[in-house]
Amino acid sequence: MSQNNVTFIQGPVVEEAVHLTLLELCQACGAEEQHVRVWVFEGVLEPVGASPQDWRFSGESLRRARLALRLSTDLEINPPGVALALDLLDEIAALRARLQRLGAG
Amino acid sequence: MKFKDYYEILGVARTATQDDVKRAYRKLARKFHPDVSKEADAEARFKELGEAYAVLKDPEKRAAYDQMGSQWKTGQDFRPPPGWDAGFEFSGGDGGAGPGADHSDFFEALFGRQGRAGARAQRHAQGEDHHAKVLIDLADAYHGAQRSISLRMPVLDAQGQVAMQERKLDVSIPEGIRAGQHLRLAGQGGPGLGGGAAGDLYLEIAFNPHPQFRTDGRDVYLDLPLAPWEAALGASVTAPTPEGPVQLTIPPGSVAGRQLRLKGRGIPGSPPGDLYVVLTIALPPADSEGAREAYQAMAKAFDFNPRTHLQG
Repeated sequence: MSQNNVTFIQGPVVEEAVHLTLLELCQACGAEEQHVRVWVFEGVLEPVGASPQDWRFSGESLRRARLALRLSTDLEINPPGVALALDLLDEIAALRARLQRLGAG
Repeated sequence: MKFKDYYEILGVARTATQDDVKRAYRKLARKFHPDVSKEADAEARFKELGEAYAVLKDPEKRAAYDQMGSQWKTGQDFRPPPGWDAGFEFSGGDGGAGPGADHSDFFEALFGRQGRAGARAQRHAQGEDHHAKVLIDLADAYHGAQRSISLRMPVLDAQGQVAMQERKLDVSIPEGIRAGQHLRLAGQGGPGLGGGAAGDLYLEIAFNPHPQFRTDGRDVYLDLPLAPWEAALGASVTAPTPEGPVQLTIPPGSVAGRQLRLKGRGIPGSPPGDLYVVLTIALPPADSEGAREAYQAMAKAFDFNPRTHLQG
């Protein structure tokens, strides 16, 4: 294959250009639909839209949903526990970013 | 192949109850889970824990493992004795906890290579979406880049066993991408079933560590050391930026920790990030007669006590 003919694959930045339906989010993160519903109920994920059929998840939801799935399967944490863990992890990330800005990270 | 002592990995006695095993696993898993832990070897330790738990939580696997005897020690050369698992019937399927298909040689020799349960793949004709993490340079985010990356992917072979396959991918990195963001490459994930569409591949972006620059979202940080007289009197100094060196005016009376913001010089975007130059002050060493005299002259010239605020 000639080097000149390489096509570089392009794709959108999920966090900026992508919104996901419930089904798309399940497909993207590998979680069952019922898990995602519970996470929405617990406030782990905050889609726009009134009913599950209308839900639109931000691109950022993908990272949170994958993290929620890993925490619940690997650590056997229940949904309220996952919600708490994600909040605390967000807080730790913000503190680490602050440390980093101060040059201590 | 080295023997693995799953009891030692979980830190439980061979007589531990199933509840003890579960409790030990959960405690260690919380400590070493890669999403939570900052331990250097968290990922490897967590993988090991998942494997140990997959065996010990399952009464069938645990019984089979136990009957090899307790004389084995971690790291000993090991070969499963012929017929070691005679009389055991495994329910199959993955152990559940842990990273699934990616078990050690030791585990696979005993319990075989097992694909992920794959329940989703059977229900949906569309292929599974895959995820991978890629490291790029900060400069790639400033200018965009075309990169060839190689990924290792588990694939199921004709016998339904899991094999790792190397795969090369040529990817356009868009200008303005930040660490932690994902690129979605349509149709580059798992193959579809029964003529279904292939899944997508999500690439999580991370930056190679840079010796000078740190990032926080689109903002970029640089520590810039100054000589004490530059900080006190003001100066014009050259500072590196990801787009090349710039001339900076240091205001007189600058103190360590002061941040100079170069608006719009962070990672591009709308709005672009800023570049923060964090001032530090470096003391020249008093390692010559002249240097010591200069410090002594300073001591005489200033009526300066930096600890006045500590006196009660």
